[in-house]
Amino acid sequence: MLSTVKPQSYKTDVEIDWCPGCGDFGILNALVLALQELKIPNENVVLTGGIGCSSKIPHYVNVNAFHTLHGRSLAQGQAVKIANPQLEVISASGDGDGLGIGSGHFVAAGRRNVDMTYLIFDNGVYGLTKGQASPTLPYGEMPKSLETENIKFPVNPLFLGLASGFTFVSRSYSYNIKHLKETIIRAMKHKGLSLIDIMQPCVTYNNINSKEFYDPRLYDIEKEGWNPLATSEREYKEKISQAVVKALEWGDRIPMGVFIEYQTETYDQKLQKLIPQYGKKNYVMEPIDSDGRPLGDATKLMDSFC
Amino acid sequence: MVNDLNLMVAGPQGSGINFTSDTFAKVMTREGYYVFTNAELFSTIKGEHSYFRVRVSKDVIRSYSERVDILIPLDARSVILHKRELSPEGAIISEENLDDPRHAALPYRDILQTVATKFGKNLSELNVMKNTIALAAATKMIGLGGEKLKKVISENFASKPQIAQLNNAVVDEVYSKFSSNKKFDMEPTKYSKRMLINCTQAVGMGKVEAGMKFQSYYPITPASDESNYLESIMGEYDFVVEQTEDEISAINMAIAASNTGLRSATSTSGPGFSLMVESLSYAGMTETPVVVFYYQRAGPSTGMPTRHEQGDLRFALSAGHGEFPRVVIAPGDNTESFYDTIESFNIAEKYQLPVIVLLDKAMAMSNMTVEQFDLAKVRIDRGKLILKETSNYLRYKLTDDGISPRSVPGVKGGLVMIAGDEHDEDGHIFTEDADNRIKMMNKRMKKMGAVLKNTPEEMKVKFYGEQKNKKVVVSWGSTKGPILDALELVKNTSFLQVRMMEPFPVEEVTKYLKGKTIIDVEQNYSGQLADLIREKTGLVADSRIVKFNGRPIAYEELVRAFARVPKEKEVVLDYA
Repeated sequence: MLSTVKPQSYKTDVEIDWCPGCGDFGILNALVLALQELKIPNENVVLTGGIGCSSKIPHYVNVNAFHTLHGRSLAQGQAVKIANPQLEVISASGDGDGLGIGSGHFVAAGRRNVDMTYLIFDNGVYGLTKGQASPTLPYGEMPKSLETENIKFPVNPLFLGLASGFTFVSRSYSYNIKHLKETIIRAMKHKGLSLIDIMQPCVTYNNINSKEFYDPRLYDIEKEGWNPLATSEREYKEKISQAVVKALEWGDRIPMGVFIEYQTETYDQKLQKLIPQYGKKNYVMEPIDSDGRPLGDATKLMDSFC
Repeated sequence: MVNDLNLMVAGPQGSGINFTSDTFAKVMTREGYYVFTNAELFSTIKGEHSYFRVRVSKDVIRSYSERVDILIPLDARSVILHKRELSPEGAIISEENLDDPRHAALPYRDILQTVATKFGKNLSELNVMKNTIALAAATKMIGLGGEKLKKVISENFASKPQIAQLNNAVVDEVYSKFSSNKKFDMEPTKYSKRMLINCTQAVGMGKVEAGMKFQSYYPITPASDESNYLESIMGEYDFVVEQTEDEISAINMAIAASNTGLRSATSTSGPGFSLMVESLSYAGMTETPVVVFYYQRAGPSTGMPTRHEQGDLRFALSAGHGEFPRVVIAPGDNTESFYDTIESFNIAEKYQLPVIVLLDKAMAMSNMTVEQFDLAKVRIDRGKLILKETSNYLRYKLTDDGISPRSVPGVKGGLVMIAGDEHDEDGHIFTEDADNRIKMMNKRMKKMGAVLKNTPEEMKVKFYGEQKNKKVVVSWGSTKGPILDALELVKNTSFLQVRMMEPFPVEEVTKYLKGKTIIDVEQNYSGQLADLIREKTGLVADSRIVKFNGRPIAYEELVRAFARVPKEKEVVLDYA
């Protein structure tokens, strides 16, 4: 089907196949609103997704879109940004995609600090395969789609993000579009790797972590006085331990907001130390040949072996 | 006069054996000789027994020899293990008291003491320079001037001039004090400027020439030498080498960088390629130009990581679920590795599909002298890449040749939608329409016919020898070297080197093999190429000569084996 959307619209006209009432709609709306507000030309944005309900979002946003493999959204997103640092890169995953099959990439990404944004659609279940337990499902819970109660302890995306070195770690909620939109904008503006763990109820399979569950529990830590900004390494080290304490909170009160925001060296700056021209030239747009004749020249290299 | 000299340096890993053999190989290359080296080492860092061979000749050589003329043992065990390979006229350069008429004794301690005293050092500080004594003794026996050796040593230690000075003082001491009744007067040769390289360096230079801008890898033997070489030059030649958290990330990063518009590759070995397989299938489905450099080693599983094998041909051909087009190329030497590297990127971008370049441990760890590459021959073809503003863009537009114009992010009007699910022309996945499936499968698979049709014969096969010969040896990859060396001593036998394994060049292979006595030579257990030829052409190999003990083939083994075929249906080589 040919796309008929207007150039400046950030929404495609592709029919959306999420279940009615799915939390994913709120995330899509917030993302589109954020893009509209930031007015980045569509062709300069790349959105990657893995596999799962949430990872279909690249089809619904009118930007460059890489629908990758299960667990590989973040790996590919980082490579896009490394290949062309002028692009604005957002990667999307479900919690199974990002913290189960893709957890190795999650941890390694923190070591790089590529300047991009990672959205985790966190609903505790594998929706597309009919609701098995996912890495964030709390211990002992048994949503209606499970055959047995969940006997695994959950991964805490915020705690893992802080431990791995994400320099912007936050949580938001798919039914609080205003907060989510603002958080996405802050994450995109942050220079470095940003994580947004988005509480996103699965209306079909997870009857426990529902809108009714989250609405009374979620509170904004920044409204309660938490300032996530760390302006020096010392401040970062001081704040991160407090951020961990907040991140581990889960019960009658569930924290959301930005837990840490620390501006340090991004991966393109680090690469520039090794490759002086990196980022100054646009490798994608720069020609590698002139009428088929290579511009690369191995003459000196050959000499070095003579 | 000697025209085929073989030097072996043997000892515990980490005792300087590669320094000794590499320096000797370089000195002889600089003299204008052809050199071929073979490294046999353990998958450990220090201690285990390892050995390096250096073969030298004024004529072209492409393999190692079973015979050793000069043995440099760096411990007593090496004498016991290797003296049976030493020729009767050979020499063992050693300080030990050996009951062997071939012993060329040197007073190691006195030499080191003299140098230590001269420079005000302790003797213990110079113990590591024992191999320099042996090296100098070897070059003296060959009749080379000590200055030539000292120049290479100075280059090797360019960043540590004091170490160079001490080593060179050792060389002077050996040259002034040591005289041996053993002489290896090499037949003189004319100097010609040649490179001494292994295939990891050839591939690396090919990538620079090809304009590759992104390489990802996860450390693995024997592939990481290539990535490490690229890391050493990326600052000057302006590209990114990314060490990833695993091979799954490595290939996904290469795929994403490619879909962002860069010529991209990843390098790995068997265990790493196994992890990449799902993503290879994704590259086929998404029509992503990505090149995988696959350095085979002895499997299965972890196998023998530092040992050689060509056991992964069938795997490279079939890896990945579902049916998708791929190209598999197998260079047979360093020169082919260079040109094939460049061509692999051209093919990947022209046809928008994954390309696998099959290499192996023997090529990765053997240095040989080669002529400088002819850069004037190199061409870049990026296919239907769009980098300027466009409109009404569809990433998977149906075209006559199955190849769609390829836009990348950042191109105005050319928004890209890439999808690993079956998709429409626009890249969206919400159709599982039966007709669309047929169109898209046809679109992708028809590229294979185009590759076969447009690829010149020398990319597919190379034929050596006379067409009238009844016996034809068929093989692929690094066995090319020992086969060509052996065929200089065997009459009436030709050689067909298969270079493109997928799509398989049925027409060319049939042309050269039909009606012939077919002798298959491979470094694997089952003869995978012979099976492939039977599958694709119906032609059956009369004999299979295989070797799977982890060591490359010495040319003498093949000379003997060729005398046993086709009478014997299978010959297993076992020289180690």
